[in-house]
Amino acid sequence: MDSSNDEALDIIITNVVATFRVRCHLNLRTIALEGNNVIYKPDCGKVLMKLRKPKITASIWSSGKIICTGATSEDDAKLGARRLARVLQKLGFRVRFSAFKVVNVLAVCSMPFSIALIDFTVNNRPIASYEPELHPAATYRIKHIKATVQVFSTGSITVTGPNVQTVATAVEQVYPLLFECRKPLRK
Amino acid sequence: MLNNNTGPVAKLYLSIIDDVIESMRELFLDEGLEDRVLDDLRHLWEAKMMQSKAMEDFRKNNMNSSNFVLQLPASYSRTDQELTASVVIPASHNIHSFPMKTNSETIATFSLPAGLSYPVQIPAGVTLQTASGQLYKVNVPVVVTQAPAGQPLISRTMQRVFVGREAPAPQSYAVPPKTTRPQGVDPPSVPASSLQLPPHSQVDIPPCQEKSVPQPPQVPAAEPSQLQGVRSPEPNINLEENEQSPQREPVNLSMNASPCSQLLEQISSEEALSQTAQFKSRDIDDILKEVIEEEREKAERARNLAPAKNDNQSDPVLGLDLDFNYNELSDIVQLDGPAGNSDMEEEEGGPMEENDFLGLINAEAIKALQEGEGSSDGNSVSSSSDSEGVDLAEAVEEDPLNSGDDVHEQDIPDLFDTDNVIVCQYDKIHRSKNRWKFHLKDGVMCYGGRDYVFSKAVGEAEW
Repeated sequence: MDSSNDEALDIIITNVVATFRVRCHLNLRTIALEGNNVIYKPDCGKVLMKLRKPKITASIWSSGKIICTGATSEDDAKLGARRLARVLQKLGFRVRFSAFKVVNVLAVCSMPFSIALIDFTVNNRPIASYEPELHPAATYRIKHIKATVQVFSTGSITVTGPNVQTVATAVEQVYPLLFECRKPLRK
Repeated sequence: MLNNNTGPVAKLYLSIIDDVIESMRELFLDEGLEDRVLDDLRHLWEAKMMQSKAMEDFRKNNMNSSNFVLQLPASYSRTDQELTASVVIPASHNIHSFPMKTNSETIATFSLPAGLSYPVQIPAGVTLQTASGQLYKVNVPVVVTQAPAGQPLISRTMQRVFVGREAPAPQSYAVPPKTTRPQGVDPPSVPASSLQLPPHSQVDIPPCQEKSVPQPPQVPAAEPSQLQGVRSPEPNINLEENEQSPQREPVNLSMNASPCSQLLEQISSEEALSQTAQFKSRDIDDILKEVIEEEREKAERARNLAPAKNDNQSDPVLGLDLDFNYNELSDIVQLDGPAGNSDMEEEEGGPMEENDFLGLINAEAIKALQEGEGSSDGNSVSSSSDSEGVDLAEAVEEDPLNSGDDVHEQDIPDLFDTDNVIVCQYDKIHRSKNRWKFHLKDGVMCYGGRDYVFSKAVGEAEW
């Protein structure tokens, strides 16, 4: 998705988090003992299973709820989730793939210019917050689309939102604001 | 059975066998079984073990003692150079010359390193003594070649050979040390240029096929004489060989474990190599791992069950072992999540023990309560949490997954079907992203058919 300028900004999706349910109780011990590439965390009450093909890590609870992280696209997340369910099915559980939902998408984007954070914060007073002692980035929350943009002085930004579309929209929205507060040349 | 020079793994295993057998003796007698049965068992056991890691034992023998002890008659005193030249072994990597110490009184002897590559030229008039004590007198110059079953290890082993002599002889005795990676400790007392004759010299030589030795013509034995000290420092360790030095210096191994990972291991203290049939080594591993007393009890039971089965005597023992442990394990009630609501899909195997009843009772009670609500719960939860179309979507989605055999087959199915196993305890297992670090202790590794015993092991792997 481009900004209003002519240049194209590369929005790179780094992480997609999704949850789904298998609609049946899972015996974590069985999964831990018989599954491939699993890490059992009895203190947390979950099993981590890592898949290679869509590179994802899934946290599996005994209730049948599964959180799938590490995918690079929404489709990847779905594919990974289904594969995971398939693995569980092969382990002997009567799984039913249901309630798949992408919960969070994290993307990074790099502006071709540096940003003066203080100016940026001042211009966008209530929506942006900047606490340099806590975190070196200014946080810009877009409430109506529920996206959060973190702006770094180097010009890199990270965007998190409930889905990829939201993220793209957020970048578009924030670009002009950043453009205003840019520092002369990108270092 | 315990030769002086068996490797530590062999020693360990043999001592375990000894312990077990000895502790069984009384029980056997109590049961009314003859002692002979126990001895039979022992022999069978040792035979199987020897067979599976027989090479290791032999190799250890050869490593620690020479293949050849060349004994020259006194008349050879003047032919130093000649003899030296003729005994020069055309090794591919090393050329060792063995100067003969010649006193008129004593018969010169020295040992050939086992690491030499054949063929070896032996001059006439020399008496050869193999590690097992056989003496061969060579009447004609012979060339000893290695049996075709010779192992590739030998040619790759590099080593230094020091010839210790009673009186220093300035002639050609230089042993060119060709060390690729000098190991931690050289025999401190023997630098390259000085000679020492230790009173009881240990001849430590990397393994050679002992079987290849009796190639020289069979001849009546000549009288043995003093052994000249030939001391070889620990050979350099190549990747797969892991020769064990007599002093048991720490060795560096580098190996590939599972296909996708690089494993670097550093093994200190007890370790050695042997060849084992993998299954057999598992047996031994089990024995190692289980408490010996437990194993004894089970052995007793097994004996009672199958007294006549000499052949598989060890197996029922171990079978029982394994079964017992498995049952124990499966009795543990899973306590995470809503207790024990796994319905029918996972059955608790094995007999329940009293301790577990409490947990089970609770689980069952809860199950009974929730059974009616269980299915409807699921539906209501899912429909409430998601949008309205979810029910339809569910119906659509369920089917593809269930019928979708093409949804996914495991990409790398038999990753675990490897013969290289480590059975041990862990100190610490750590992971960062996809980098794993292992701190292991007290274990046995079966790698490439050989057994390595360690008290500490450190490893790294990438997933």
